[in-house]
Amino acid sequence: MKYIAGKLGLFVLTLWAAVTLNFFLPRLMPGSPADAAIAKLSQNGPVTEATRAAIEAQLGVPDGSLWEQYLAYLRQVVTLDFGVSYTFYPQTVSSMVSTALPYTIILVGVVTIVAFILGTLIGVAAAWKRGTWLDSLPTLGGSFMSTFPYFWTALLLLFFAGYVLHWFPTTGAYSATTTPAFTPAFIGDALLHAALPALTILVTSLGGWIIGMRNAMINTLGDDYVTFAEANGLRGGTVAIRYAARNAILPNLTGFGLALGGVVGGSILVEQVFGYPGIGYLLFNAVIGQDYPLMQALFLMITVSVLVANFLVDILYGVLDPRTRR
Amino acid sequence: MTSTEQTVPELVDGLLDVRDLSVVYESPGAAPVQAVDHVSFTLKRGEFVGLVGESGSGKSTLGFALTRLQKPPARTNGGKIFFDGSDIRELDTEMLRKQRQGGFAMVLQSGMNALNPVRTIRNHFLDIFRAHGHVAPADREARAAELVRKVELEPSVLARYPGELSGGMRQRVSIALALSLEPQLMVFDEPTTALDVLVQHAVMDTIQALQKSENFTAILISHDLGIVLEATERVLVMHEGRIVEDGSSRDILERPQDNYTRMLLSHYADPRADVVELPGFPDRHARVAAGVTRAEAATSEPTVVTRSVRSADSAIVVDHVSKVYPPPRRGEKPVRALDDVSFTLEPGQSLALVGASGSGKSTLAKLVTGIEKPTEGTVRFGDVDVTRLRAKGLRDLRSNVQMVFQDPYAALNPLHTVEYTLSRPIHNMTDLRGDDARARLHELLETVGLTPTETFAQKLPHQLSGGQRQRVVIARALASDPQVLIADEPVSMLDVSLRAGVLALLEDLREKWGVSLLYITHDLLSARLVTDDIMVLHDGRVVERGVTADVLRNPQDDYTIRLLDAVPNPRRLREDVA
Repeated sequence: MKYIAGKLGLFVLTLWAAVTLNFFLPRLMPGSPADAAIAKLSQNGPVTEATRAAIEAQLGVPDGSLWEQYLAYLRQVVTLDFGVSYTFYPQTVSSMVSTALPYTIILVGVVTIVAFILGTLIGVAAAWKRGTWLDSLPTLGGSFMSTFPYFWTALLLLFFAGYVLHWFPTTGAYSATTTPAFTPAFIGDALLHAALPALTILVTSLGGWIIGMRNAMINTLGDDYVTFAEANGLRGGTVAIRYAARNAILPNLTGFGLALGGVVGGSILVEQVFGYPGIGYLLFNAVIGQDYPLMQALFLMITVSVLVANFLVDILYGVLDPRTRR
Repeated sequence: MTSTEQTVPELVDGLLDVRDLSVVYESPGAAPVQAVDHVSFTLKRGEFVGLVGESGSGKSTLGFALTRLQKPPARTNGGKIFFDGSDIRELDTEMLRKQRQGGFAMVLQSGMNALNPVRTIRNHFLDIFRAHGHVAPADREARAAELVRKVELEPSVLARYPGELSGGMRQRVSIALALSLEPQLMVFDEPTTALDVLVQHAVMDTIQALQKSENFTAILISHDLGIVLEATERVLVMHEGRIVEDGSSRDILERPQDNYTRMLLSHYADPRADVVELPGFPDRHARVAAGVTRAEAATSEPTVVTRSVRSADSAIVVDHVSKVYPPPRRGEKPVRALDDVSFTLEPGQSLALVGASGSGKSTLAKLVTGIEKPTEGTVRFGDVDVTRLRAKGLRDLRSNVQMVFQDPYAALNPLHTVEYTLSRPIHNMTDLRGDDARARLHELLETVGLTPTETFAQKLPHQLSGGQRQRVVIARALASDPQVLIADEPVSMLDVSLRAGVLALLEDLREKWGVSLLYITHDLLSARLVTDDIMVLHDGRVVERGVTADVLRNPQDDYTIRLLDAVPNPRRLREDVA
């Protein structure tokens, strides 16, 4: 309990530091969004003070001291009020992010967790049955698959499973004919749309988990406590899971934490290829359209997701490894 | 597979009958090594037998083969192991697993790592009870508590994780776990080797008491003939994969038949005796009184080449030194590793610093070499205050004060040749370059007895034996022509038969080159062989000091007496051995 409280305190502290940096870093840069807009306008003729004031008002260029701005910003962060998007005016940034976020978290998040669990289980089996086909097949296949470039796998799947065989839809998160709602019809449709991007992520990330877990497990299989467990006549399953795998998974948790933290930020490529309206898709468009409020909110989301993932993995470590609890 | 004559051994009270057992190591890309070579012996019920041999003799391989725990590349390639009448080589996996309850159990060498770090001790017991079902669920807790009490631990350890227990406690837990199988045969593979001397002694006492009270048959595998003769009634001596001698402990001690056994025995002596002699080491007391060097008295080949003597001219003066480390965890007390220690190491003197682990002897070595600073007090080398030295001064100090480390396997970079390892300190600490440096390198190798030097210079650490590696470590320490050598347990990792050679080298360096020696050890016999004076450390304090021979023959402090009692002594047989 004390361990969790300590980790929670650290989490809040880093979160505050990240939020603060997110505020000060853009303000250390010279110029402002208004300057950029005016510079563009001034190419066509002189810009009056009134125009400038109008642009600043429209963009919400802040006034007051830096401290007052900071407090206002903190209030906005707490109330999740990130202003209005430039490119998708007049939609608010928060409404756009909250629409996109579930798609990314469900698609990439779930697939990342599934890939980790599946890869770990296969890795355990491969190490336990070392030297048999149960080892060589996933090990060779895993290292082969993980060398596929992400976009190449995506295009291959799109072409064959989408255009040629028509098994799965090729773009979007749901059909144009359905409207998002919690109905079986919509959920089925959304799952069908998620299949190809999910498969892409699974294929490219599974191999790494298999090989990582297999190698860690082969190390723990050589440890004395595994030999001693065998000498004591424990059942094979107990030795494999509770003695070898249970210890082998610990170093892999760090990698899992990193992968989980990258869920929100690392989905740009796959969402772009499949036209999937998640965070990555949104971020891409925000950067292209120089949509500062949207970008600021998205960067904050990415930072927070990394911190949350690390926090969760820390807690998981505490549960799984008694040595960290002290 | 049909065996034509499956004779059940006709032993009235026999438990184990090993016939022509062979085990081979078949590493890919290497020639197969026959680690166990046609070994035969029998064990009677209730017998306590020692299996002794030096590293590479095949004793642990034999132990693993007997309990069917060997893993590739090791493979049993011949012979039969009859356990309680049936050949355990023919058991299938599930029968073998069941056989481990009420059959044979094993306690591993590094008992400290034999427990799963993420499971409580209680769960270790429950796993075994569940796997075999020989204890009813309702009785399991009580049984686990009873078993831990048998190895002299409190039942409260059941709730702890292995990481929360000391090395000795963990080894006791693994003995209790093996006992929980109610085995007829227990194989102890170096059960105390990784433990501190005093703990070692206590754990061995527990094993002996258990063997008597539980009346299991036991095999004690050890490199230390002293420990084995003290504990067991019969001894098998193993050498290069074969059993070279099999006899009662008394016969082995008093009438050894094999040359190898005789050689092993010759390396034991009682450090309390009036006259202590080992091969190459005539009694030091008489020799020093007569002003004769070791090499002259032993009329053996001197290990050190003669050269112009550069005697040490600076003494090390440690003056009222204390060292306090911050608490290991929050809420605990700071650790006082050294408490008001003073001594002087005169030029050319040899001083032993003895104590069990945690006594502060290694901390003292760190202070003398300037690696750490004392909390109070001063350390002086000649007229230099070691505690005030910074980078440049420390470099100069280190060319005069050099360390020889405990573990020759870890002290050498496995990727570098001996030549490279030795050329670095020559380059960094002396002005010798080119041919002069090369000449110095070969002189060093010759000094430590690694000849022909051309061959040894090109070797990598893994191509050398433990004793040879430790010689390289000593040569490296000598590269800067130091006045003082600090040797931290330099022979504790070596086989008994190799120890005397390394000790002779240290003694000759002091007598012929005038190097002073600070010899840190828990091994009182070796201290008696190579030091003039001794200082006994306990919990950071000096509890006894004086002339080595006097202190060991007539110890005053209780702690010194306990250390002396813990020295394995083959001549102290089990009382019940006829």
